Amino acid sequence: MTMETKIATSDTGKAERVSPRAYVAPPVDIYENGDSVLLFADLPGVRTEQLSVSVDKGELSVVGERRAESVGARLGREYGEFDYRRTFVLPEGVDASKIEAELSQGVLRVKIPKAERAKPRKIEVKGA
Amino acid sequence: MLTRFYDFNPSFSPLDELRRRFDRVFEDIDREPAPREAASVAVGPRVNLYDRGAELVLTADVPGLSEKDLQITLDRESLTIRGERKVTPPEGYTAHRRERESLKFARSFTLPAKVDPERASATVKDGVLTLTLAKAADAQPRQIAVKSALCPGNCEE
Repeated sequence: MTMETKIATSDTGKAERVSPRAYVAPPVDIYENGDSVLLFADLPGVRTEQLSVSVDKGELSVVGERRAESVGARLGREYGEFDYRRTFVLPEGVDASKIEAELSQGVLRVKIPKAERAKPRKIEVKGA
Repeated sequence: MLTRFYDFNPSFSPLDELRRRFDRVFEDIDREPAPREAASVAVGPRVNLYDRGAELVLTADVPGLSEKDLQITLDRESLTIRGERKVTPPEGYTAHRRERESLKFARSFTLPAKVDPERASATVKDGVLTLTLAKAADAQPRQIAVKSALCPGNCEE
């Protein structure tokens, strides 16, 4: 019985994403040190107001909308209209309330500080 | 397409959802190649070229590059864009994932119309380079007056 209920409710609350626009996953670099995790993503063509960085249920999502270029007749095209979208699972022990994000020259930088309790620390060994 | 059998029993609706997602998987495969794939073909940034009548407009994705990282050379019919990007890991950090590449590129284009190198301008904004190239005077679109064939030259009726 419990199994049935699980099946019926497993997907509620998650709306299916429907978008006529194609989306691509931007390339990212992820770095870590003792204090924080750093994420860089290439998002050319996205302005600050078209970019959303959000944290929900332990997932960090980056969604950027690329505006249409409204210029003249098209002679050659190597890319079209699309959105950037990528989701990351945040590791344990980060402080989601202190995440900072900044966008400059089409590159997004997200700094995810580690929670105090998750930082590495040295334990002093006392002599007996 | 399968028929939906289970309209009255909500416990099967996740199966419908699952089926719909599978359908979408194939839609994705059938779709024209995503812009991402174009990147692996092109050496250097992806480029779009537009004709605005009096000028040509070229846009290129150059994330993380500023004006000083780009060199643009132009003569009447060809254009070369050179650039270099160095991705350096921040000091004291270890890398988990490196997808953004350091790259050095040079792309040359033969332009579809003669341009005036004196009146070209380039800007970099939000990681996109926009080059505006004014067409040379003899390449500008012009209006051709249509004369009547019945009376070539001057008609004095």
